[in-house]
Amino acid sequence: MIDNFALAITHGLMLLAALRLWHRDDLDREPGPRDDAPPPRAQRWGRPRA
Amino acid sequence: MRDLIFFGFIATLFGIGLKRPFLFVLAYVYIDTLSPQLMMYTALGSIPYSLIAAALALLGFIAADDKRDVRVAPRQIMLLMLLLYCWYTTINADFPVEAQFKWNWVWKAIAFGVFLPLTLRTRLRIEALLLFMLLSVGAIIIVGGIKTLASGGGYGALNLMVANNTGLFEGSIISAVAISVVPILLWFTRHGTIFPPDWRVKLFCYALVFACLLMPIGTSARTGLLCVALLGVLLLRDMRMKTRVLYLSAIAVVGLVAVPFLPSKFTQRMETIKTYQADASASTRIAVWKWTIDYVKSNPMGGGFEAYRQNHIRYDKVAVEGASNNATVERSLEVDRARAYHSAYFEMLGEQGYPGLALWLLIQLAGLARMEILRRRYAKATADDAWIAPLASALQHAHLIYLLGAAFVGIALNPFLFMLIGTQIGFDTYVGRKRSETGWQPMRRQRPQPATA
Repeated sequence: MIDNFALAITHGLMLLAALRLWHRDDLDREPGPRDDAPPPRAQRWGRPRA
Repeated sequence: MRDLIFFGFIATLFGIGLKRPFLFVLAYVYIDTLSPQLMMYTALGSIPYSLIAAALALLGFIAADDKRDVRVAPRQIMLLMLLLYCWYTTINADFPVEAQFKWNWVWKAIAFGVFLPLTLRTRLRIEALLLFMLLSVGAIIIVGGIKTLASGGGYGALNLMVANNTGLFEGSIISAVAISVVPILLWFTRHGTIFPPDWRVKLFCYALVFACLLMPIGTSARTGLLCVALLGVLLLRDMRMKTRVLYLSAIAVVGLVAVPFLPSKFTQRMETIKTYQADASASTRIAVWKWTIDYVKSNPMGGGFEAYRQNHIRYDKVAVEGASNNATVERSLEVDRARAYHSAYFEMLGEQGYPGLALWLLIQLAGLARMEILRRRYAKATADDAWIAPLASALQHAHLIYLLGAAFVGIALNPFLFMLIGTQIGFDTYVGRKRSETGWQPMRRQRPQPATA
C-alpha cells in the first residue's frame, strides 16, 4: 500500500515531467546570443566554428 | 500488474525518447537509481532495461545531438584514468573472480559519469536530470519516511520495497544519499522550470525533505545523523543574518520538541556514537581501517576489488559500565575476518592503493572547488543567471554531505556519486559555454580572418 503510493506519486511526476519535456524546445537547444535566426536543425560533425 | 506499469512507464520514456533523445539518458538514470527490475516478479523483470537505455542514450547522442563546441573537462579525463586504473587492478586482483563482479557494475557507473556531461547541453537538461534523480531516489525515501512515521523503523528493519541490501536500498547508504539530496530539493523550490515553484511544488519538496530527514531515524543509521548535522551547518552558508537567527531558533525548537518523539531504538543507537569502543560495528571498522593501512604498506597499488576478503582482525571491545568514579572496564577479544571497509576512503585505499585513492580524492576535490568558483562568480547574478550560484551551492553541499557519509559507508564507486559528479561537470561546462558565448563574442567578431592565399 505504502509502496504503491510512493511509486505512483514519483512515477506520475516523472511521467508528467517527461510529457512536459517533450513539448519544450529548449531541452535540445537554447537560443544563444550568436543566433540571430534559429539555426538549421541538422548539424554536421566537425563543422568549423563560426 | 505492477510489472506492467513499470514496463509501460519505461516504454513511454523510450517512446518520447524517439522525439527527444535526452529522455533515454533520463530513463537510464531512473533505471540505474531505482532498479525497478528488482521490484518486478514476472518475465518482464528480466529484460535488460539498463543496457537498452544505455545503448539508446549513446545512440541518441551520436545520431541526434548537437555536438558543436563539445567540451571535455579535465575531470572527465581523470574519471577515464580512474576507470583504466580500476581495470588494471581488477586484472591483477587478489580475488580475480569476486573483483570481476564488482568491476561489472563499477565500470558502467564511471563510464556514465564520463558520458553524462556531454549530453548536458542546456539548462533544462540539467534540471530534468536532477529531477529524475530526485524522484527516483524519492520513491525509496517516501516509502522509508512513511514507514518510519508508522512504525519507527530500526536498523535493518525498515522494509524499503526491495528485500535485498543492494544499491541504494541499504539503510546507511540511503540515509546518507537522502540527506545529500536535500540541498538540491531546496533548489527546486525556487528555481525549477519543469514544475514552476508554486505552492504544490513547494509542498511536495518540503514533504520530501521531511521524509529525507526521517531516513536516518527510520534506518537507525548513525552516519545519517552526522550528515543531518552537516546539512544544518551548510544551509547556514547561503542565508542572510536575519534568516540565520530565525533558522537556528527554529532548529532549537524543533529539536526540543522532536526528541521525545524519536523511537527509543534510534536514541539508543545514536548514543553509541559516544561509546563506539563498546560497539562491535564501530570497533570492527577501526580494526579494518588499521588492517587496510598495513595492507597497502606492502601492496601500494591496492589489492583490487573485494581485497578486504583476506583480512583477519582481532580487537578488544572495551565497554565501560557504571558511573565515572566506580566504572568497571570490560574488555572482550573479538575476532573477525573478511570484514568490509565501511568507508569509501579505505575502500579506495585498500582496493585501488595510493594512486587510486589519490585520483579519486582529486576528482572529488576538483568538483567541490569548481562548484565553489561558480558559486562565487555568479553570487550576484540576476535574471537569467540567478539560478546558477544556488545550483552550484546545492551540488557542492550534496557532494560534501555524500563525502561525509562516505567516511562510514563503502560508497566510493556508487553510481549515484558518478551521476552527481557528471552533473557537476555538465553544469560547469554548460556555464563555461554560456560565458564564452556572451563574454567573448564581441572580440571574436573583431578578429580579422586569417589570410588564406
